[in-house]
Amino acid sequence: MMARQPSFNPIKTWKNFHESYEQVIDGEFDVFMPQQSAPLSIDDLKETTRQFQTLIADARKQGRKARAIGSAWSLSRAPTTTGWALNTNRLRGRMKIDPADLDAGHSGTADQKAGLYLFQCGNTVADVNKVIESKDQRRSLFTSGAANGQTIVGATSCGTHGSALQHGALHDHIVAIHLIANGDSHFWIERKSKPVMKADWVKKLGATLKRDDDDLFNAALVSFGSFGIIQAVVIETVPRYLLETQPGIAKLDEKLWKAIGALDFAAHPFFGGLEPYFFQAVINPATDEVLLNANYQKECPADHVPKYGLTQDPKAIGPGFDALSTVGIILGAFKGLIPAFSQLAVKQLFDTQKKTGTSGQIYGYKPPLLHVASGSIAVALSDARKTLEALIQLYKDIGPVPLVLGCRYVKKSPALLAFNKFPTTLAISIDGVDSKSSRAFFAAAADRLEAKGIDYTQHWGKVNAYTKERVLKAYGGNVAKWLKARREVLPDAKDRAVFDNAYIEERGLAG
Amino acid sequence: MMNRMTKTGACLLVVLTGGCMQYLVQPTEPSLAGSPQTIRVKSYLGSELQQPPYVLAQRCQDGEQLARVLVKRDFLQGFVSWISLGLIAPATVVYTCANAGDPPLGNSSGGDGGGE
Repeated sequence: MMARQPSFNPIKTWKNFHESYEQVIDGEFDVFMPQQSAPLSIDDLKETTRQFQTLIADARKQGRKARAIGSAWSLSRAPTTTGWALNTNRLRGRMKIDPADLDAGHSGTADQKAGLYLFQCGNTVADVNKVIESKDQRRSLFTSGAANGQTIVGATSCGTHGSALQHGALHDHIVAIHLIANGDSHFWIERKSKPVMKADWVKKLGATLKRDDDDLFNAALVSFGSFGIIQAVVIETVPRYLLETQPGIAKLDEKLWKAIGALDFAAHPFFGGLEPYFFQAVINPATDEVLLNANYQKECPADHVPKYGLTQDPKAIGPGFDALSTVGIILGAFKGLIPAFSQLAVKQLFDTQKKTGTSGQIYGYKPPLLHVASGSIAVALSDARKTLEALIQLYKDIGPVPLVLGCRYVKKSPALLAFNKFPTTLAISIDGVDSKSSRAFFAAAADRLEAKGIDYTQHWGKVNAYTKERVLKAYGGNVAKWLKARREVLPDAKDRAVFDNAYIEERGLAG
Repeated sequence: MMNRMTKTGACLLVVLTGGCMQYLVQPTEPSLAGSPQTIRVKSYLGSELQQPPYVLAQRCQDGEQLARVLVKRDFLQGFVSWISLGLIAPATVVYTCANAGDPPLGNSSGGDGGGE
């Protein structure tokens, strides 16, 4: 039976999931799995490759741009195109990697070899968790962002991170990438230092194997759709575990600064002398109150069956889907209401209930809200206190802003443009309501850190104030390596132009 | 001062949101397929007539059902409804299709991935 072909939808306006911006496009293609109800096969991957190559070639021939669109979760314009949006969120094939298909040079333990999975680009983080955390697979992601609606490729391409203290970001699970670059070429990319699949397996897929060095892989890993279409990734997983959450509220005193600014958990009684697996501190700059969340790792019983769905009390009352757009207008006009609102918002934006579950259960489905504002700044742990004090001072200088500062911690990634570039990175998530004052805060935050001489990066998938100069300053020689890697998979300028967008042009990463 | 601001804020909230409404329906574990589709609808004579007669989710294909339906009315739509005493009631429907089930786990060497 002939595989279902992409279907064109002549829409002219595209919005991101949280509707914080709109983009004019030439239309959207929905792309389908060749077989929805059969296990994913190499032939299915080849057929989808062929379909994407036809779409990319057509876009190039017609002088259009094109980009893959996943869950549209990004708050930045990283995924946007003025041409064809290629909607990938139906491509949810998944495949366990058979250890027999691994390259002889794979250096992993037996457990690591048994915990590799290929996921097609349309699988959401929720999908990944449901597959690997099942009673039959009993695996887990070692870290996760707070939400689960992003596609695995969208989230990793923009640098989504969690706050697992001993681990990297979500993209650091990835060990192989299947990239469709243009109408003729598609690549299977791995690190030279970490081979994964047998060359024969890659040959069956019809892809060109690229593992002559580590740079190409480390460039493609965080490339926000600029290298082509990532059809699938292979991820590493760890044995399944449970997290027991411990939420609490504390005053921002010297003892707490030691935990937040230096991860010294012995200094504050909240932690009881234990180092958590995951730690988050949410500072409300309008008060001296900090909402703490320490999650401790527990063994997961073999018969545990995770339940993921949202629950709600039918009599409950809470913010509507689009409540924040009106709230943003009101808070813009009446700044005096912001401190009271911030205290309410913290409880809505961050989970304050104590619970135990797998990573996929804890960082699971959330009530959907439009018009959230979120940007993240990352600094070295050694600059943590200086940075947070600078941002709290900025908050006071600008006046109350409907934002809070969430502190999360992540280990360094080898990705060339990784948000988590420091040995221990403090990621300060600036979260709240989209409003004029919030946008002013995001714009001023980068200036303030530069004035203080603090080295920082910004989250690619959230509101950011990156410019070409700032990207160069943050990543130095890695920018040239990233651009070289892009030219390696897209040597023809016309092919690169298909995937260029204003977002990467403004940041000196196009062309 | 704070009390006055709260009252003014509350008044502004009433004015800005008067006549507006929004209801979101979604399953406990939404799996969205494709982009949200926006359809403008009108109900006449207290819903005796509807334009279109029903909203056909045409983008949901190959067995896909609905993952999310949002029915909303903005200030202008609410105003039209109010001045016409409900005889003309415009609204906006946004629907998103649902993926038709979860594909089974495959295996890189062919077959299935082991009892999912």
